[in-house]
Amino acid sequence: MVEVLTIIYLTYSFVAMYFLFLFLLIYIPHRKKIFLYPETEKNYSLSIVVPCYNEAESIGETIQRLLDSNYKGLKKIIVVDDCSTDNSYEVIKKYAKKYSRVLAVQTPKNTGRASGAKNYGFKFVKTNLIGFVDADSYPDVNAIGRMIGFFDDEKVGAVTSQVLVKNRNNLIEKMQAIEYKIIVFTRKLLVFIDAIYVTPWPLAIYRKTAFDKVKGFDESNLTEDIEITWHLVYAGYTVRMCVPALVYTIAPSKFKDWFKQRIRWNVGGLQTIKKYNRTFLKKGMLGNFILPFFVFSWGLGIFGLFVLSYRIARKFIVQYLSTKYAIGAQTAILTLRDLNLTPNVLVFFGLMILIFSIWFTLLVLFRLKEKEFKQHSLWDMFSYMFIYLVAYPFLLVISIYKFLRRKQTW
Amino acid sequence: MLSNPKNAIWEAFLLTGVVFVIGLLLGISYENGKIDQINEYYADSEISLTDIMAMNKIIDTKNLSCEVLIDSNLGFADKIYEEVRLLEKYEDSGKISDGMKLAHKKYDLLRTFLWVNSGETLKRCRNFSVVVYLYEYESDDLIQKANQNVWSKVLYDLKQDVGRDIILIPIAVDSNLTSLNSLVGRFDIESFPAVIINDKNVLTKLSSVEEIKKYL
Repeated sequence: MVEVLTIIYLTYSFVAMYFLFLFLLIYIPHRKKIFLYPETEKNYSLSIVVPCYNEAESIGETIQRLLDSNYKGLKKIIVVDDCSTDNSYEVIKKYAKKYSRVLAVQTPKNTGRASGAKNYGFKFVKTNLIGFVDADSYPDVNAIGRMIGFFDDEKVGAVTSQVLVKNRNNLIEKMQAIEYKIIVFTRKLLVFIDAIYVTPWPLAIYRKTAFDKVKGFDESNLTEDIEITWHLVYAGYTVRMCVPALVYTIAPSKFKDWFKQRIRWNVGGLQTIKKYNRTFLKKGMLGNFILPFFVFSWGLGIFGLFVLSYRIARKFIVQYLSTKYAIGAQTAILTLRDLNLTPNVLVFFGLMILIFSIWFTLLVLFRLKEKEFKQHSLWDMFSYMFIYLVAYPFLLVISIYKFLRRKQTW
Repeated sequence: MLSNPKNAIWEAFLLTGVVFVIGLLLGISYENGKIDQINEYYADSEISLTDIMAMNKIIDTKNLSCEVLIDSNLGFADKIYEEVRLLEKYEDSGKISDGMKLAHKKYDLLRTFLWVNSGETLKRCRNFSVVVYLYEYESDDLIQKANQNVWSKVLYDLKQDVGRDIILIPIAVDSNLTSLNSLVGRFDIESFPAVIINDKNVLTKLSSVEEIKKYL
């Protein structure tokens, strides 16, 4: 009989191989289309809403980047101060005074989350399209213009951009820089099968009628950018992604901030799964791919963590006891004879997946090469693959705990 | 490649299935190769054992010295000790075929034979010791596992130390062999691992090499 653990390992190998093959099969025929974007003759009017809470240091540069945008249809930049306690609102007002396209507004009281400020800003929008840019994100001069052509297709409800990390000084920032690129690339590949699952905060543009139809952002959700994307897909819209539309954002620099942000993302993901669970295996790509993709990723991540922890704990206990007994019996604690380097089918599968994953990571980094930044070092890539990704399932467990205890706030 | 990009979902599933099955078949074939290798060793060892048993029978009638008999037993014990170590390594890494378990059982039977035969040799020729190490191969008890890890190291050290003065025979008691169970039953052992020295002394408490040497 094959052991239960072997069956579990084989199942994980199968799932990992499946996703690698899926991305490969999508990539090969579409590799030349990844950087394409449709040009348009139409002139869509656009408003950009920038929610801001205590971002005095970055908000000025964000507004300036939007003012520098070469998209002529950008009519209004609505900067919503969510009752900041620093001088953000003063900075915003200075820009509003200087530039007529900038509108400074303030929420009557702090909404406690970005979606509240975004929905508040939406009240002032009178254009065909509405975009959202984070107060610490910096779109390229031509980013917005490149995204607009996608709206020529009436079915398109939202267009997202290529979000990259601006700050890359310490290891955690460098690992996130790699992670963001992997996310960008895989998200773009998922677009080709209509399975995009998020329109991230740093820069996303929505058709106003579609935004109206889904009644804006769900303020009870911690990841309104995931929720609204699922909502749009649920409502029958498609979502597109424009890789040449670059936006740089500030990623958390400290472990504590990164941890808090990821817990928020994951709890928000769980809220969204819960909200749309009725569509499971029912409603187009949302129910047949996006939702199962999320649910299985979670399930496998957490189950895998428990299996791994169980195995490590057992090994550790046996090693600890063996050491204790070996000292008592005056014999060697470890010898070369204890090593077993005989390979097996799981090692072969594991090696194949590892090589494939490294190749995929290198492919992504090569395809999303940037002129402004140095290439990622081998150490950064190693840290990302073997520390960052391995640590992730722990976040999932904590997120589930927080989700069940309803503890997570913004 | 089909025209609808969404077909990639099913194509990937099929491709994974094909690669997975090929991988499994290669894995089974690789493991079977290892089983074949062990079976070849086993066949050779079986011949050696039969030879030693025959020698034991003729020692009374022919002018066969104890030295030759002890050498044969020692050589055989050392040979199958190494073969079983290799088998256990293969078994540890063997994940999808069951052949190794059967080979393990066959070796346990072979070692039981060796134990019986060494006991007879011991009666005739007194200048060596037989150390039988009884352990549970499929134990899930972590304390027992750790205990067995250390016992096997101590006995290996003992073997390195006294070399040709002992015949070391490790046997897994959970092989479900009637002959082995009857043999072990004679010693009233309540827990494993246990070490039986010269069919007289039974050690169940982990001991150092020096302590074990006192019983040789």
